[in-house]
Amino acid sequence: MLNRRAALTLGTALAASAALPVQAADDVLIIDNVELSGPGVTSGSQWKMGVDLAVGEINAAGGILGRKIKIQHLDNQSQAQIAKAVATKAVDEDPYVMLGPIFSGDVNVSMSVTENAEMPIFIGGEAGNLTTQGMKYLFRSSLNQASAMPKLANYLVKSGVKSLAVVWGANDFGKGGRDAMVKEMATRGIALAADISTEPGQMDFSAVVVNASKANADAIFAYMNEEECARFLIALKKLGTDKPVYGETVLVSQKVIELAGPAANGAKGHVGLSVDAPNPLVQEFGRKFEAAYKQKSDHNGIKGYTSVHLVKAVTEKLGKFDRKALAAAIHGGSFSAKTNPGLLMDVSFDEKGDLDRESYLAEVRNGQQVITETLPAVGKK
Amino acid sequence: MKYLRWVALLAVSVALYFAPGQMKSYGLYITTLWVVYWIAGVGLNLTVGYAGQISLGQGAFLGIGAYTAAVLSKAGVSYLAIFPTAALVCFAIGLLLGFPALRVQHHYLAFATLGFNMLVFLFLRNEEWLTGGTFGLNNIPRPVIFDVRFTRPLDFYHLSFVVLVVMGGVMAWLLRSPWGRAFAALRDNPIRAESVGINTTFYTLMAFAIGAAYGGVAGALFAPLVQFVEPAPFSVANSLSMLLMVIAGGSGRFFGPAVGAVIVVLLPEWLRVAQDWYLAIFGVLIVLMMVWLPGGLLSLPDRLRGRRA
Repeated sequence: MLNRRAALTLGTALAASAALPVQAADDVLIIDNVELSGPGVTSGSQWKMGVDLAVGEINAAGGILGRKIKIQHLDNQSQAQIAKAVATKAVDEDPYVMLGPIFSGDVNVSMSVTENAEMPIFIGGEAGNLTTQGMKYLFRSSLNQASAMPKLANYLVKSGVKSLAVVWGANDFGKGGRDAMVKEMATRGIALAADISTEPGQMDFSAVVVNASKANADAIFAYMNEEECARFLIALKKLGTDKPVYGETVLVSQKVIELAGPAANGAKGHVGLSVDAPNPLVQEFGRKFEAAYKQKSDHNGIKGYTSVHLVKAVTEKLGKFDRKALAAAIHGGSFSAKTNPGLLMDVSFDEKGDLDRESYLAEVRNGQQVITETLPAVGKK
Repeated sequence: MKYLRWVALLAVSVALYFAPGQMKSYGLYITTLWVVYWIAGVGLNLTVGYAGQISLGQGAFLGIGAYTAAVLSKAGVSYLAIFPTAALVCFAIGLLLGFPALRVQHHYLAFATLGFNMLVFLFLRNEEWLTGGTFGLNNIPRPVIFDVRFTRPLDFYHLSFVVLVVMGGVMAWLLRSPWGRAFAALRDNPIRAESVGINTTFYTLMAFAIGAAYGGVAGALFAPLVQFVEPAPFSVANSLSMLLMVIAGGSGRFFGPAVGAVIVVLLPEWLRVAQDWYLAIFGVLIVLMMVWLPGGLLSLPDRLRGRRA
C-alpha cells in the first residue's frame, strides 16, 4: 500500500505529465505569444480562438505539407517583460514561426528576440512604429494605423465633418492612433476641437463625455480598447449626447457592440476586418467561429485565423519548411483568397511587413454592424 | 555552526553563479529577472521588514532606475556611471518620500506611497520628450564595462549576480551595524527608540532612501535586461507584487526577498505546465500560503519547530 508521501509524489508526477503537451515527431510547432491575462485579455482571447479554429481546420485537412500543426499558446500577461520571456522561450523551443503578440509594447520587446533568431512573427499590433524599425521577419495581420487613418479621415470629409473632438486611450495603441489621426485631420483642414486622453481600464466616462460635448465639435472620434470604447458609448447614451461618433475598427467591432448593447447604435467608422463584410469567405468564417465559440468574432479573431492560414499558404507554395524562404516569399508578395480560401481576402505585403487589403466603412444599426461601403486596397487605387 | 553557515552560503553563491551556464536563453532570462527583483526586494525588505514602514512605491523606484539607465545608456553614458546615478537619484527621491512617513503610519502611509507611485507613472507616460511616453524607449544597449561586453545572456546574468552579491553584502553589513539595530528599534517601538536616543526622523528617512536606492539599481539592470522600457511595468500593480514578494518570502528575514522573488517571478513560469489554469493555481497558492504561513515561506522551519514543541 502506498504511504501518504509516495501517493502525493505519484499524484503530482501524474498531474504534471498529464498537463504536458504531447508532440509527435513530425508535427510542426507554432508558438503563440498572446495576451491571455491582464488588460489585453479581450483581444488575446479572440486572437487565440481564431488561431485554434484555423489550426483545427488545417490539421483536419492533413496539416501543412502533410505535417500537423502543434500550437502552443503562452500567456504574456500583457506585460512587456513577460512577453520577452515568452519570445525567448519560443526561440529556445525552435518553432517554425511565432504568432503574436497583439499589444504594441509586447511586440516591441519580442521582435528583437525573434529577429536575432531569424524567426518570422505574425503580430496583431497596429501601432505605426512597429514596421519602421527595419525588422526582416515581422509581419502584420491587419492594417497599420498609418494606412487606416487616411481612409477614415476621407470618410469624415465626405460626411461634412469640419471639427472633431478626439478621445483616445493613453497607451501606445491609443496614442499612436491619435497621432496618426491628428496628422490626417491637419492635411484635410479638420479642426481639432478637443484632445481628450483617457486611462486604460477607466470605468467612468461621464467627465470625458461632458468635455467632448462642450467642445461643440461636429463629431467625436473615439480610439480606445474594446472595454473602454463600450463604456464610452454607454456614457454618451446615458448623458444624451447626440454628436455623431466615429472610430477606427475597435469602436464598431462586434466585441464593442456586444459589450455596449443598444448604446453602440449609431456609431460609425472604418474597419479593416469584419465578419459582416460583404464577402462570402469572411461570412462563412464568421458562422464557423460563432458555431465553435458561441460568440461573434471581432477583428482579432480574424487576425489570428488568417495568420495561420497565411503561414500554410506560403509554406505550401514554397514546398518546404524554411523560415528564411518564408519571410522572403511574404515580402513583396500578393496572395489570393481564391487559391487560398483561409486568407479570406486577397492580401499583399510590402518590404516592411505592412499589409494591404480592402477595408470597409461601417455603422452600427439595431445592434448589428452594417457595412456601408467597401474601400479598395490602397495599392489598387 | 557559524563556520558551516558561511561555507553553505559560499557554496550556494558559487552554484548560483555557475549553474545558469547550463540554461538556454529563456532560463537565463527569467533567472536574471529573478535576480533583478531580488535586488529590489532587498531594498523594500529594509523599508518594510526591518524598519516597519509600509511602502507601495518600490515599483516606481524600479521605474526611475530603469528610465535613468535607458536615457543615459542611449546617450552613450557608461554603466559605471549609470548604476551610481540610478541609486543616487532614487536615494534622493526616496528621502523625499520618507517625509510623509514622519507624519502618518500603516495604511495611511501605504496610500501616500501609492499616490507617489501614480505620480511617477504619470510622469513616465506624459513626458514623452524624455521617456518616450506610452511608446517607451526601445533598443536599450546591454552594458560594456572596462571593454567587457555583457551582451550575451549568460554574461549579463553574471553581471547582475555580482551586483546582487555586492548590494546584498552592503545590506548585510548595514543590518549588523548599529544602523540595523536602530531600524529594528524603529519598527518594534518608535517611542522607546526615541527615548534611548535614536534619531527616529533620520532612520525613517534613511529606511526609505536606502530602500529606494536598491530599487534604482535593480531598475538599472531591468532596462538593459528587457532592452525596452514603457510605463506599464512600473505601475502600482508591480509595487503590490513587490510587497507580496517581501511578505511571502518572509518580511524582515535576510533571504526573504530571494524566496519572494521565486514566488513572484519564477513560480508563474513553472506553473505554465498547467496551461490555462496557471494563474488561477498561482492565486490559490498565494492565498493558502498567506493563511498558513503569514510570516512568509522562511517562517516554515519556525512553525514546524513550534508544532513539535
